Amino acid sequence: MFRVLRAAGLLSIALFGFTSVPASAAGDLLVAPTRLVLDGSRGTEVVLNNIGAEPATYRISLEIKRMTAAGGLDEIAEADADAAERAALGMIAFSPRRVTLPPNQPQVIRVGVRVPEGTPPGEYRAHMLFRAVPDAAPAAEPKPIGGSGVSIALTPIYGITIPVIVRVGDLAATAEIGAARVAETADGPAFEFDLTRSGARSVYGDIEVTRPGTPEPLLVARGIAVYPEVTARRVSLRVPAEVAAALKGPVHIRYSEDRELGGGTIDEADRVVE
Amino acid sequence: MRTIGMKRALLGAAIAALALNASAAQAATATGTAKAKILRQITLTNTSDLQYATVISGATASTVQVSTAGARTCGSGLTCTGTATAANFNIAGTDGALVDVSGDANVTLTGSLGGTMTSTLSYSAASVTLGATGGSFQVGGTLSVGANQTAGDYSGTFNVTANYQ
Repeated sequence: MFRVLRAAGLLSIALFGFTSVPASAAGDLLVAPTRLVLDGSRGTEVVLNNIGAEPATYRISLEIKRMTAAGGLDEIAEADADAAERAALGMIAFSPRRVTLPPNQPQVIRVGVRVPEGTPPGEYRAHMLFRAVPDAAPAAEPKPIGGSGVSIALTPIYGITIPVIVRVGDLAATAEIGAARVAETADGPAFEFDLTRSGARSVYGDIEVTRPGTPEPLLVARGIAVYPEVTARRVSLRVPAEVAAALKGPVHIRYSEDRELGGGTIDEADRVVE
Repeated sequence: MRTIGMKRALLGAAIAALALNASAAQAATATGTAKAKILRQITLTNTSDLQYATVISGATASTVQVSTAGARTCGSGLTCTGTATAANFNIAGTDGALVDVSGDANVTLTGSLGGTMTSTLSYSAASVTLGATGGSFQVGGTLSVGANQTAGDYSGTFNVTANYQ
């Protein structure tokens, strides 16, 4: 079935090539795992795979991102990075930084960490960006367009970022679930609640919303972090209208650690959603 | 849909096995131990481009808008031909995972015969919660076309990233 879908994808790309301005679609990618936590002594590996139909060159780099109160990740220019963020960039070593892969060819990126002597305890973080380098400017075929006609081709350079977290020292943190509500956002209805954090490191885990007495969860969202640069964030989860309606009333919200780390409860609370 | 999930899991296993092969292959021993580690993965695929198609400029400056749903609004004084589309990206990964979307807010296009244009970009969502079959987001935009814009093929690139928290 997957193959059939693939073939269909290929076909549509081929059709596109004939019918419109050719834009390179090479650069589709797979990254695994989706989060790295290092304790400062051992390195690890990330797998990058070219899942596109054409060979592609990928560049791997580290970026600084800061969490916002709304839960987004703002990109920070290296010149604006603070001391801890700079330290994170200095600690994390990886290779290769650029790789050309034929379709369906995975590549292992080795990630090492060197914590300099005297580094204060804390959590240091950078985000690893995997992104295809666009081909040299696609040869735009000169087309006979009369008068003042313009043809337009916009090529996306797209990629994936995953957090790389280095923990120095014995760090602890807790989180607390605040008020919950169903809000109307620009993108449609969303289930929202506040999540406050205290301690010296980030918290990370899964959210499960259940109705007391009903085993089936109303809503599950995985991979929600509160990073140390914020003490509180809003969690806003877009939901279909019928789920938004079902969420109103008394609910039980559980924020638990990653299943791979045992899934222990970080915080749970009973809330009445309005 | 189940089969897709299964294939994905198998793909992940295959990758992990490949990753382990490098060191495992060197150790030639008589006893065989089967080991596989399943890694969580994310994939990002670009299935359509943001296309304004062909625009014939007029005597006054105007705009062409392509919504994130792919609908084109041709500003007054302009003539638009061809098929416009919004860019579409598919994300696949762990069921229920929350993925943030970020990208450039605008892009400058350079013409093959000189001249530039700018386009603002709009994203269908700031974050995507993946379902069993993944999720997707779209990118639309508004192109500013100058009065008697120089003819030619205009091209530009913009950055988009899917971010795990």
